Amino acid sequence: MFETFLDTFSLFGQQLVNGITLGSVYALIAVGYTMVYGVIQLINFAHGEVYMMGAFFSFTMVTAFGVNFWVAFPVTIVLCSILGILLDVVAYRPLRKAPRLAALITAIGMSLFLQNLALIIWGSQIKAFPRPTLPTVFFEAAVTMGDIIITWLQVFILLVATLMMAGLHTIIHHTKVGTAMRAIAQDKVTASLMGINVNRVISFTFAIGSAMGGVAGILVGIYYNAIWPTMGYIAGIKAFAAAVLGGIGSVPGAMLGGGVLGMAEVMGAGYISSAYRDGIAYAVMILVIIFKPSGLLGRSTLKKV
Amino acid sequence: MKGRVLFLAVVLTLVAFVLSAHAAEVVKIPVASPFTGQLASFGEGVKNGAFLKAEEVNKAGGIDGKNVEIVLGDELCDPKEAANVATKFAADSGVSIVVGHLCSSATLAALPIYKEAKLPAISPASTNPTIGKSSPYYFRNVYMDDFQGSFLARYIKEVKGWQKVAIFYETNDYSIGLMKAFKAEALKLRVRILGEEAYTNETTDFTPQLTKFRAMKPDALFIPGYAPQATLIVSQAAKLGMKVGYFGADGLDDAMMLENPDADGLFVTTPFLADNPDASEEAKAFVKSYNEKYGKDPNWFAANTYDAVGLAVQAIKAVGADRDKVRDYLAGMNSPDKAYMGVTGATYFDENGDVIKGAFIKAIQGGKWVSAEKQL
Amino acid sequence: MRVGIHIMRFGPNAIRFGLLAGAAVVLLAPVLPLGDAGPYLLRVATLTMLYMILALGLNIVPGFTGLLDLGFVGFYGIGAYTAGLLTVHYGISFWFIIPLAALNGALWGILLGAPTLRLTGDYFAIVTFGFSELVVLVIRNEIWLTRGPMGLPGIKAPSLFGHVIKEPWEYYYLVIGLLLFVLFVVRRIEDSRLGRAWFAIREDEIAAECVGVNIINFKVIAFAISASIGALGGAFFARWFLFIHPDMFKFWESILVLCLIVFGGMGNIRGVMIGAAVLIPMTEALRYLLENLPPVMAKIGLAVSAETGSKLVQARYLLFGVILVLMMRFRPEGLFPVARVKAEMHPDKAILEAEDASLYDERKVTDVEKV
Repeated sequence: MFETFLDTFSLFGQQLVNGITLGSVYALIAVGYTMVYGVIQLINFAHGEVYMMGAFFSFTMVTAFGVNFWVAFPVTIVLCSILGILLDVVAYRPLRKAPRLAALITAIGMSLFLQNLALIIWGSQIKAFPRPTLPTVFFEAAVTMGDIIITWLQVFILLVATLMMAGLHTIIHHTKVGTAMRAIAQDKVTASLMGINVNRVISFTFAIGSAMGGVAGILVGIYYNAIWPTMGYIAGIKAFAAAVLGGIGSVPGAMLGGGVLGMAEVMGAGYISSAYRDGIAYAVMILVIIFKPSGLLGRSTLKKV
Repeated sequence: MKGRVLFLAVVLTLVAFVLSAHAAEVVKIPVASPFTGQLASFGEGVKNGAFLKAEEVNKAGGIDGKNVEIVLGDELCDPKEAANVATKFAADSGVSIVVGHLCSSATLAALPIYKEAKLPAISPASTNPTIGKSSPYYFRNVYMDDFQGSFLARYIKEVKGWQKVAIFYETNDYSIGLMKAFKAEALKLRVRILGEEAYTNETTDFTPQLTKFRAMKPDALFIPGYAPQATLIVSQAAKLGMKVGYFGADGLDDAMMLENPDADGLFVTTPFLADNPDASEEAKAFVKSYNEKYGKDPNWFAANTYDAVGLAVQAIKAVGADRDKVRDYLAGMNSPDKAYMGVTGATYFDENGDVIKGAFIKAIQGGKWVSAEKQL
Repeated sequence: MRVGIHIMRFGPNAIRFGLLAGAAVVLLAPVLPLGDAGPYLLRVATLTMLYMILALGLNIVPGFTGLLDLGFVGFYGIGAYTAGLLTVHYGISFWFIIPLAALNGALWGILLGAPTLRLTGDYFAIVTFGFSELVVLVIRNEIWLTRGPMGLPGIKAPSLFGHVIKEPWEYYYLVIGLLLFVLFVVRRIEDSRLGRAWFAIREDEIAAECVGVNIINFKVIAFAISASIGALGGAFFARWFLFIHPDMFKFWESILVLCLIVFGGMGNIRGVMIGAAVLIPMTEALRYLLENLPPVMAKIGLAVSAETGSKLVQARYLLFGVILVLMMRFRPEGLFPVARVKAEMHPDKAILEAEDASLYDERKVTDVEKV
């Protein structure tokens, strides 16, 4: 009797660990969506591709150029930020005054473009980081509690996610540029009248969001040991669902939404049906949008006439 | 206006170039398979096997003095692309037989087109049982999933002595077919199936399902899927501290598995063994020349395609490049004494165009495929 | 800066002649001496017509009512599986299946549209996307019903008065017939009260509401009609391919159809048809050219590996991404625009044209939702 209880508990405990890991990754990607949406009301469909590019950038550096992982990590962050800024400047900035439909279609176009570009450069086969290129400590168990195993890599992922979120919170609420971001989210025209360089702040938003996406790409690449050109599409959509769930435009909401969605997915796969695993994210997203479009932590929106 | 004329001229020149690239007098044998995409490494074996056979045939004088030309049709294992590729081959009157396709869903999509065009096709790798009955123009020189699944069930019971197994399958035709056959036979042999979980070909996080398997404490995990996912499954299971046996079917027979240190001990069924000591002279010569040309051992895709191209060549040699005659010739190979003797043994067809062939077991040992000591 | 194809101005007679000649080529295509390439070209032509039907269907939502629908492939798949299953299990005739599939599509369109069409544009887009992914998941996993990933083989070809349609040219005329029917329906709707209500919603939802247009109802009707045309296309697809598989209804198909209408001009019936007529054959032509790139380049003395050629074939959809981005940047109203879409897509110019510039400007700014 006690043994079955222990088994059930360790099963649940391990699923909890799995869910938290997946959730922190979703949260990192979701932040990119939520920030851009908050500032310019655009679903940046290409954000999932930035995440994918992050994984490939670090992969290429580590394998083709033999760069140390700890060097590749920050370089990837920088590269992804640049990619984010490029996205904004090339694709979205010229459309600031255009209808939202146009910007949305452009976002889809950029996503398609980047995905196929990655296909040409890296091919469509699943790639993996060779084990020796990664710090060995990642694969050792940090905590072993009965059957529950937490690896250092999982600890690292959670740590990085938390640190980045904390940093982001500081930027948004305690710096000048953060204030500017919030001002633009409120009213673009008034903000520009107050002397805020709107375009520069928006580009900064893209850079920060993309950096977080790139970090998520690296973490996922080494955690699941698989990267391929279309990985950004599903992860991107799920992260968007997480952002919606948390309340789009709200950074703590993205964290919460990512956590809840990751947990729902793992528990759904573990206890309900593994075949419908991807469907859980979509169903959650549709239900939230229909019944509580403002999400868990978002403010309700008012349509001004 | 001038610009347009120039543009038109460039386009026309390009088209002319493209057309002239195919003007030589040859016997075309199209080979359809995924050569890029996730399953490209399977397609590589197909391509290598086909080119090797064509080269040997051409060296020996070709078909009545004409060279054999292999035309590759890349369908990415996608049913829609497969139908496109099939239409192109079917419309080409110089084509009298197609070698392909690899994935069963691609084969099923191409079938109606070949049937309509009365174009015979021979698949070196589609193992789904429904295919044979669907068209009189379809042949294959590979065994079917139901054979493979029940073979594995008998092997783990009789050779490994395992009693409790869990199944981790992909939601595709191949994987589900194998799982069903395996379960049916396991039931008869009183092997317990502790549980079954699904994944898709876009899954990378297998931990929730594996965690569940871990709690079931099986003797072994059956992975009736493909190598790209199986290698991830095995690694992630190791991270969860799972210590069980792993086995799969011919979909895991890929060099990719060898790079994974956690996959040591994993075994699979395969239609062809490169290191089989009992192999025929032809098979040994094939392994040798394959090694000379490509610098590695042939996998079963290469061997089966090598034989499929051989069958096609033999048929065209015997009755000429006429679609119906080629079809009738192949259908006439219906008993062991009329069989084609290739590197994968004797090939002859039943009334559905299917074959009966044996399977082998091979396992990973120290980063290499090694044929299992005890075969069934 | 304006980049785009400026259509040369022809006299009305020249246009009439061109149209007649075009129609003659389309109708007589099967008897043209095309040799071996004939069946393949006819297949591409049939595919093009099928995509014209789909584009006409999708066009109703973003083109007529201004909402982005990313889940069109869901209805296409519903139509295909409705047709496939009814044929395989009950052997129902093609001519009954077409309306049944369209009805089923409309039903799902209403079920999805009624609760979601009050959402703002981007939320609606993402809900439709989620829906189409769920449709594919259900098709893939409910094996007892759809055979899931095994695909659905053994679908019978349609027949007409006892004659089984199987030759490529027969399918070709069949799809032309369906296309003409859809075209007729869409044209009639466009000119009706319904069509005018949609355009009113598209131009200014709030103003339309103020003059008494029941927005939700009209949007749901639009969505249902669009869905039923998608399902009709799917039904034809199933009876043409004779094998359907969940992988055929991936998200990418939605994007492809969206590309067609963006390219030709959203909201413009002629434009979206031209979009399909240009882009679908172009993807096939690109496949051919890129596949044959390595041997051709080798002749000029440039080595391109077969693998690269194959990769390029796969990545040819990169071009679609570029088309979407460039079209939105330089000619968002499409190559063959209608005036009202053009005005809406170029708010800057519209301001100059509007009599009360300041009023218009203010509306545009406050139109953006605040978060």
